[in-house]
Parts: sequence; structure tokens; C-alpha cells
Amino acid sequence: MARVTLADVNKIYGTGTRAVHAVQDLDLTINDGEFVALLGPSGCGKTSTLRMIVGLESVTSGRIRFDGQDVTHLEPQQRNVAMAFETYALYPNFTIEENLTFPLEVQGVPPKERRRRAHQVAEMLRITPVLKEKPPGLSGGQQQRVSLGRALIREPAVFILDEVMSHLDAHLKFQMLFDLKRLHRDLKRTMIYVTHDQVEALALADRIAVMSNAKLQQVGGRAALYNRPANAFVADFIGEPPTNFFTARPLQENGSLTMQVDNSTLRFQLSSEAQAAVNATGGERFIVGLRPQNLTLDPNRGDPNRGRLKAAIAINEYLGERSILTLESGKARFRALVPPETAAGQRDIIDLFYDPTRVMIFDAETEDLIV
Amino acid sequence: MAATADIAQANTQAAQTAERWRAVRYLFLIFLGFWLLFTLFPLYFMAITAFKSAAETNLTQPTFWPQEWFPENFVGVFAEPTNFSALVDSFIIATGNTLLSLLLGSLAGYAFARFPRQAGGENMAFWMLSNRMFPPVAILVPMFFLFDNTPWGTDSHISLIILYLVFNLPLATWLMMVFFRDVPHELEEAAYLDGWKPLRAFVKVTLPLVLPGMISVAMLCWIFAWNEYLFANLFVGSDVRTYTIVIPTFTHGSQTLWNLQMAFSLIAMIPPVVLFIVLRRYMVRGLSLGVVKG
Ligand SMILES: Nc1ncnc2c1ncn2[C@@H]1O[C@H](COP(=O)(O)OP(=O)(O)OP(=O)(O)O)[C@@H](O)[C@H]1O
Ligand SMILES: [Mg+2]
Repeated sequence: MARVTLADVNKIYGTGTRAVHAVQDLDLTINDGEFVALLGPSGCGKTSTLRMIVGLESVTSGRIRFDGQDVTHLEPQQRNVAMAFETYALYPNFTIEENLTFPLEVQGVPPKERRRRAHQVAEMLRITPVLKEKPPGLSGGQQQRVSLGRALIREPAVFILDEVMSHLDAHLKFQMLFDLKRLHRDLKRTMIYVTHDQVEALALADRIAVMSNAKLQQVGGRAALYNRPANAFVADFIGEPPTNFFTARPLQENGSLTMQVDNSTLRFQLSSEAQAAVNATGGERFIVGLRPQNLTLDPNRGDPNRGRLKAAIAINEYLGERSILTLESGKARFRALVPPETAAGQRDIIDLFYDPTRVMIFDAETEDLIV
Repeated sequence: MAATADIAQANTQAAQTAERWRAVRYLFLIFLGFWLLFTLFPLYFMAITAFKSAAETNLTQPTFWPQEWFPENFVGVFAEPTNFSALVDSFIIATGNTLLSLLLGSLAGYAFARFPRQAGGENMAFWMLSNRMFPPVAILVPMFFLFDNTPWGTDSHISLIILYLVFNLPLATWLMMVFFRDVPHELEEAAYLDGWKPLRAFVKVTLPLVLPGMISVAMLCWIFAWNEYLFANLFVGSDVRTYTIVIPTFTHGSQTLWNLQMAFSLIAMIPPVVLFIVLRRYMVRGLSLGVVKG
């Protein structure tokens, strides 16, 4: 078990005009026993980061430390790390038991002890019945558990999982999420879990590191990411359906500052804190963000400070336990999450209410959160 | 009424389709029969000629069954004691060349499969393969002079073992590259993370997966080297003799002793046939390129 520190890590593939900067200035510390998810869209450099941590890829610049010890230039064999691959990477000509005990064989563990440990791990992952079979005969979920088992059978300093659930169906995924959470609770290993699915990340991790375009955007717990996203990307990526964004400019009205949305009649009320922050920047253009969850049809929840938006319904999607309204006002389009029994039809003009403290303001240039 | 008519019509249609398929099947069997005759006849004629008398092989009206059996032919071919050692020489050359082709071809193929950019890429691999595309006779004489200047000369095992690399190494490299590419690199990486050093990971994980393919490559190389005549005829002849250059020596004056030539050829066919039968199981798997899909 170990604390993993990445200090100013860069990864550049290739040289010259074909160089790809896959990971840029990455600073990240994963504490001993912590479960951290690395979340980001496809191609943002997640796998590259993992491969540098385990030593399968060289580090272009920067340092990687395990418990303070510099491992930047150590071979994978010397790092004592375990990784479950997205493709499982099971040895096709070995039986499941041989797959599981392969890491022990090289350590010189006697055969009897190896068998005992294999059975113990198989028990934990519920794959005992297939121990004598070979990987091609197993279902996707079983293969996945074998690859976890092969990583778990020795005591790695860091345990890394790369998109291990992307080939599982929803039901199996749910089961595996539960199993993984339990494993982490029982074993208390340092775990890094890579995914592009925020549901997995939110369900599993103590902290989530959001990556985009080779850069780390924000690290934090789910509440921090949800309520105080560092920038528009995180606000967009975390939460379902995604946050509504509007480009807007500040407008003085009756002595208070509001945000007038471009090409639309929509106007946002701001909290006094936000007004002060916006005034302090002195900017002319901003991005306003508001989550669909923070819009409601209910006018009489007493608060006189509530903001109000008037818009026409473009689409009313019924999704069982909730409905998603897509609304239009001028050129602006946005979505709101409403109770499923909402009977409003297309082109109806409705009023929506929001709490001004929930309105997020981002810088139009840098897209960083202002308030 | 109409319904029964429909059913009747459907029945005749089904019957017609079945009929047609049966016809196709028969045509196919007839074709296969002809194909079999066409390919097996030379072998058959070779086998019976090996048992004929010299006189019978020279009849203007060929016989398709020996009038009189002459199994002594098989002893006769070894009247010259060096004829047996020619088989041994061929075996040494074919086996030596095969081992060398496999070793070098696997190393090169692995490099092309795993480090395509560093190894010069697909173009480099294809260039190697294209070395097989020129007519061999074009390099016959230059090669002779080249090998004549080596310490071991042309008339040696080693000269042919090395020379045949010109033909077998590109093939071995290309095929091994394809087989290695079929083995995901991640398997080796998983082994590294499991604590295995690269060479041992290769031996434990990758090698068993490409073994069937490797055996197929070995067969192809071995058969080429075993049967090669053109270069052997020019290069070797006194210290070393391959069986292929012994066959034309079965003459009596100006008369070709077909029966002895065929008897010796039949004997020379035994090793490849035995090898093929023993290794057939692996060959088929290897040549279908489905090495890892298992
Ligand atoms: N070996 C390589 N050589 C060159 N470029 C590479 C290599 N590996 C990855 N890249 C590039 O680096 C970038 C980041 O890739 P990476 O695999 O780390 O992304 P990822 O976040 O894991 O994506 P995914 O979710 O699709 O797995 C991509 O643009 C990719 O094309
Ligand atoms: Mg990836």
C-alpha cells in the first residue's frame, strides 16, 4: 500500500510535427488506501497517465513517487503495481487458476500455497467453478473478475483499473460496482479507477480527478464537483442531464446586477455575492450555467428572491420517474428536470423558477468559475 | 380449394430447390474427382515406375501397372554409397536452414510487430518480403562468386544453409510478424506487471501462442530447402551433395534410368510426408492465422 504522488508529469508521444501531448503538467496525490477515480472523455490521457504510474510508458518529464520513493525510472516489475486491463488481458492458453497464480509463480511461492491463495481469491470473486477452464470459455463478467483476481492475489502497492466495466451490461456493471466497493472496504488498498462514465466514478470513488484535453481540471469529492465545478467543462461533464450554458452580459437593473442572455429575453437574477464578484472582474461577457435539476415549475415555495424564466416548450421527454423539458427562448435553448406528471405540451409558454445562489458564472474566455 | 393449390405449389417449389442443390452437389463431387485424378496421377505414376524394370520404363506404349515387379530398384539406388549420405546432407542443410530462418525470422518478425516505427515500419517488412519476388536465377552466378570467396567455399553445408536464407528468411519474418501481431501486446505487459522479466514473459506467454504458426513456418522453410535444386546443382557436388542433384545421375550411358530416379524420389518424399503427418495438427491451426482466438 502506498501514497502515489504525480508531480508535474508530462507525456508526449512522438516528436516534431506528429508529437501528441497526451498528459500535461499533471499534479495529483492519491493517499494511502484511497479510492480515486480518473474521469474524462475519450482520448483525454487517462490511459497514458495509468501507464506511466505502472511503468509501461516512459515519463517525458516530471516525477512519480510511491510513499515518497521516486519510481519514475523503475521497471514495472520493480514497482509492485497491479493493473486490470480494459481488455482483461488474460493468458488464453492458461487455465483460470494458472492465470491467477501467474504473479505468484515468479515470486517463487510454492505450488501448494499458490493453489490455496487462488482458491481464496476465487472464492471472494465467485469464480471457483471455472478455475479449471480457460479464458475463452468464460463470460465477459467472469473474465473481468479473473483479471481483478490476478491483480489482487499478491499485495500490490497500488491497484489500478482501466475502464474495466466498459464491456459489461448494465446489470452486471451494477453487481461489479458493488463488489468493487466491498473489496476496497475490506482490503483498504490504494486504488485508481479509470472511467469515462461519471456514474461509475461517483458511485465508487472517495475523490474524483476530472481530466480533459490532457489536463487535470479538478480533483474533489462528488459534492465539490457538483456544486462548485472549477470550470465550465467540469460543470458540463458532471451531472445528468448536463448543465445549461448561456452566453450573457451583465445588465444593471433597479440598482442590482442581472445577466442578460444573448439573443434571448432570458435574464438571470444573481445572489449579492455573485453580483460583487462579477463587478470585481469588470468583464463584459460571461457564461452563465444552471443545472436542469435547479429549475422548478413550483412557484410557491415562498422565497421572494426566486428567479423566474419564461420560455416555450420544444420537447417534453417522459423518462419514467422524471421528465426532461427542452425549452426555447429566442436563440437560447435549455433543459429542465420536472416531475413526470407535468402535462405541458409543445409550444406552451411556461414559467420556471430557480434559486439565484445556484446560478454559476464562468469567465467567457478561460471558462473558469467566477462564482 | 385455393389453399391446397398453394400448398401443392409450395411443395413443388421446395422439391425443385432441393433438386437443384443435389445437382450442384453432384457437380461439385465430379469436379473434386477430376481434381483428385489430376493431382494424384503423377504420384501414382512415380510410384509404379519405381517398381518397373528399366526396359519397361522405355516402352513407347506406357504401362499403367508394372508387368513385372522390381523392388530391387530400392536397393539399386544405394549401389553408390554416397547416395545415402546425400539424403543426410539434404537433411542437415534443410534442418540447419530452418532453425536459422526461425530464429532470425522470429526476432525480426517480433520487432516489426511490436516496434513498427523503430523497425522501419510496414514498408521495411514489405521490402524484405519483396526480396522473394525476383527470379532466383538472376542471382545464381553472383552468389556463386560471393560464396566462393568465403572461407568455407561453395561446396559445404554452411554455404547452402546461409544461401537459402535469401528465400526463407523473408517468408519467415513476414509470417512471424503476422503471428506476433495476433498476440496482444497487453498480454506481455500484464506479465511484466505480474513481475516477469521481458524475456521470461516472452517465453512463458507469447511463445506458446505463436508456436503453431512457428511450426507451419518451419514446415514451409524445411520443404523449400529440402527440395531446392537450382543453387544446389551449381554450388555443391563433391564434398557435399544434396539428394536433388543425385537424382539426375541415375543414367546408363545416354539412357535415363527412370525407375531408379523414381525410386530415389519416392524415398526422398518420406521425410517431408512423415513430418507433415506428425505436425499436421499444428500446421492447420497456424496457417488459418487463428493462433490466439483459440
Ligand atoms: N502509443 C501512442 N503513440 C502516440 N499517441 C498515443 C499513444 N497512446 C495514446 N496516444 C494519444 O494520446 C492521447 C491520449 O490517449 P489515452 O489513451 O491516454 O486516452 P484515454 O483517456 O485513455 O482515452 P480512452 O477513454 O479512449 O481510453 C490520444 O490523443 C491518443 O491518440
Ligand atoms: Mg484509455
